[in-house]
Amino acid sequence: MNIWHGFVSRVAGLWQRQERMRDFRREMESHLDLEADELQQSGLSAKESRHAARKTFGNTTLVTEEVRALWSLTWLEGLGRDLRYATRALRKNPGFTAVAVLTLALGIGANTTIFSAIDSLMLRPLPFSHAEQLVRLYATRNNVTIEGFYAGSPSPPDMRDYAQASHSFQNMVIYDAWRKNVSYGDATSEPEQMSVGLVPAAYFQVLDVKPLMGRLFTEEENQEGKNYVAAISAHLWKTRYAGDPAILGRKIRINDELYTIIAVMPDVIPQWMESRHPGLIEVWTPFAFADAWSEASRRTHGYDALGRLKPGVSLEQAQAELSTIATALAAAHPLNQGNGVAIKPLADTRVGTLRPMLFLLMGAVSLILLIACVNLANLLLARNSARERELAVRAALGAGRGGLVRHLLAETLFLSLIGAAGGVALAQTGLTALARMHPKNLPQLDSVSIDWRVLAFTIIVSLITSLLFGLAPALTGTRVNLVDALKQGGRSGTSGVHSQHLRKLLVVTEMAMSLMLLVGASLLGQSILRLERQSLGIRQDHLLKGHFYLPGVRYPDPGVLTRFCDEFARRVRAVPGVIEASITTVYPPNNGWTQMLGIPRHPATRIEDIPTAQFGVTDAHFISTMGIPLFRGRDFADSDNASSPPVALITEEFRHRYFPAEDPIGRQIHIGPPSFLQIAPGANITDASDVTIIGVIGDFRNAGLARPPEPQIIVLYSQHPLVNYGFKDIVIRTASEPRLLGPEIRRQLHQLDADMPFAQVQTMDELVEQETGGQRFTTVLLTAFAAGGLILAIVGIYGVVSFLVTQRKQELAVRMAIGATRTAVLWHVLMQSLGMATIGAILGLLGAAAAQRLTSGLLFGISSMDPITFATSTVFLLAVAAMASAIPAARVLRIDPARTLRQD
Amino acid sequence: MLILRTLLFGPAHGHQIAKHIQRTTDDVLQVEHGSLYPALHRMERKGWIISKWEMSLERNRDLKYYRLTPAGKKQLAHEESKWKQVAAAVARVMCPGSTELP
Repeated sequence: MNIWHGFVSRVAGLWQRQERMRDFRREMESHLDLEADELQQSGLSAKESRHAARKTFGNTTLVTEEVRALWSLTWLEGLGRDLRYATRALRKNPGFTAVAVLTLALGIGANTTIFSAIDSLMLRPLPFSHAEQLVRLYATRNNVTIEGFYAGSPSPPDMRDYAQASHSFQNMVIYDAWRKNVSYGDATSEPEQMSVGLVPAAYFQVLDVKPLMGRLFTEEENQEGKNYVAAISAHLWKTRYAGDPAILGRKIRINDELYTIIAVMPDVIPQWMESRHPGLIEVWTPFAFADAWSEASRRTHGYDALGRLKPGVSLEQAQAELSTIATALAAAHPLNQGNGVAIKPLADTRVGTLRPMLFLLMGAVSLILLIACVNLANLLLARNSARERELAVRAALGAGRGGLVRHLLAETLFLSLIGAAGGVALAQTGLTALARMHPKNLPQLDSVSIDWRVLAFTIIVSLITSLLFGLAPALTGTRVNLVDALKQGGRSGTSGVHSQHLRKLLVVTEMAMSLMLLVGASLLGQSILRLERQSLGIRQDHLLKGHFYLPGVRYPDPGVLTRFCDEFARRVRAVPGVIEASITTVYPPNNGWTQMLGIPRHPATRIEDIPTAQFGVTDAHFISTMGIPLFRGRDFADSDNASSPPVALITEEFRHRYFPAEDPIGRQIHIGPPSFLQIAPGANITDASDVTIIGVIGDFRNAGLARPPEPQIIVLYSQHPLVNYGFKDIVIRTASEPRLLGPEIRRQLHQLDADMPFAQVQTMDELVEQETGGQRFTTVLLTAFAAGGLILAIVGIYGVVSFLVTQRKQELAVRMAIGATRTAVLWHVLMQSLGMATIGAILGLLGAAAAQRLTSGLLFGISSMDPITFATSTVFLLAVAAMASAIPAARVLRIDPARTLRQD
Repeated sequence: MLILRTLLFGPAHGHQIAKHIQRTTDDVLQVEHGSLYPALHRMERKGWIISKWEMSLERNRDLKYYRLTPAGKKQLAHEESKWKQVAAAVARVMCPGSTELP
């Protein structure tokens, strides 16, 4: 209260001070007049009395000042003065200012960017109630979580059994999403391809998401044939149906079938719920697969599964219970041997396989902040100890200690403020850049914004650093060495041994951390180069691909599908610029469709022994379009058709595994599960046919970019009606830039069927780039950090060496005077900085080796301890350090011993 | 305290106060008149006194008069009692036996 009152009156005083002072001068005048009058009456002359009055009054100026001080906000004015002085001092030292501000901006900006991104990617709480109870269920095979393309939930019948037997869960659900052709409204509008969620009502119940309008799916609607109901997102409702209040009951056309809209769902379900094809889902229909629940599908994975734990049940308890159930299931069902289940908190699964990368980035960017703080500390130390003398002079002239501290404080604060502003600007640009380059598997990055908590944290950290090191000289300096500093600055050659040690230590730290970043970035960079440059086993250039879907309603039987596809491919081949085209279900780098096989000499009685291979269904132009070499036998021909005997091509890996010692050409094999499993032909996308091997072709990447090729068999869709589905891709080899042909191919498709969307059109190069998007994302960022760290380290070592040279000028001059050559002195200085760099490098190498656990999982084709990378990074860093110190060290050469020694 | 005490008799201007203190202390406290003013302004800021320019009939000119506020009176009472304690303590040391103030 009192303080407040004082403050208010002081501020008011500030406004009225002019007035006050005029008032006081008048008061003083009248006082002097009165006194003079009195004295005059006692007999003095006018002049004498005037003089005497002044004498009794005292020093008018001093009194005026005292009164003025009473009515002014002295500390505020002092701060203003200090700030003015600080700007002047900083402007006079543009090099120091620029470097300090840049350092701060880099540290604050980079950290704010990355932590904002990471927060929105994986730290922000999930938008569901009691989200800590939510877990994802993953299928395991021999106790190892299935990874890569086959990753997914346990099979639908397994999930049903888990749900029935377990007591740890409130509820459990299996769901999926498929790309389908969707159009809105009752009339046939231009359809587009989008992901449609296939979910039972339990999906929304587990997530605890309630419809804004309408109802959830019923149990009955999960049966095929009764499933023509759809839930849409609020966003879709607003944009496509203009927020029609009578939306319930209206229709949506999916794959040429009409579905009745029964619910509008809130826009809360994130884009990563469908783990293999992340993206926003805005339409859901019931999970109604005719064969999903059959006994035969116990071996099928690749759906997603969610569960909600009962309150108070721990992850470990639930996992233990599920494992027990899995053992029981394996005993009861032969197909379940080796199958198990693993659960993970839903919150931990949202960035998928990129989780370790993001942790790596987090570590790297923290290093940047550390380096920045170290640098700042170094800069301030160097600057302020160079100013020790100045401060001592000011103290000697009567500046109070508080005043000195305040002055340094103002300077440091001012610097920090500019730095922070730069940091905010940098973070803003950084996030825009991130959003632009974000990989497809991190859709959340679209909506990242600056996290103000992170910003506040980084600013506070750098503020503490700058205060700590900016004020240290003021606090110690003013306490002791008024006289010392004056003396020392004058004559002593080596000043402040203690602070020199500190500075060197800081540079060593900086070097070590930059080397860690450098090693990490160059490992990842090489890894991604290898990943992208490796041969896929095909000719990757000039290849375009696109996806289309033939809805069952209009293309009911395999014969119609075959005729449509053959005709489409024929027309595309006639387009100018097209060299070859093929309709296929398979193309590198992923395949994802496996078949069990029956191969003579590989009789299988146990389920583990059944031969399997990647399975592709194409037309006769597949290997000529893809550019896959034919090693033995012959390629498919147009004469291989529905009425001729079924034929197949196998890859080299297939031959190696199943025909190691004999010629496979002409051999007959069976495609489909063995009879003892009693799986109905055609159930669960299994084939059942005998084929003759006619050729052996080269291997191509069919299990992901980073995995070796697996055995592959390719057959013709015209000869395999059981597995001739409406999902088809077309691959086109072109003579010119493939992207330019996209519209023409789409036109050809629309001539055959005007309502068929042509989706996911991209070149093979783009596809590979997309596959490596996550790695590239990490690599680019890590490289940026390494560059930033290196720049900071250069600045650091440059600063320290130039400071050393300035400080030790006297000593060096003495050395020269008593006979040391200039080169020897130069070497002496250089060796000192290289010594620091070397110690830093050794520590950095140790650090990088310790951090290899972080990188090892992210690397392809290169060891996380690759000696060449370690060596080149070290040499590079040392070379840079040598250059950075050579420039200021060269100043030694310009020292004139005679003049230097005469100075001061 | 002396200033506040002076103002207890009624409003006064700076010169009057200075003279009054000088006179009542028999010229023992010979302060420079100028040093009076910062003290006056400080007390004004603390709210113990208020000031106003008024016509002085006696001098036939505008003079700045200071007046005691209730807060100032309280402060005076507080300081007086403190002063009495100190003075009594000093007196006890200086002239043991006498318990009364001079």
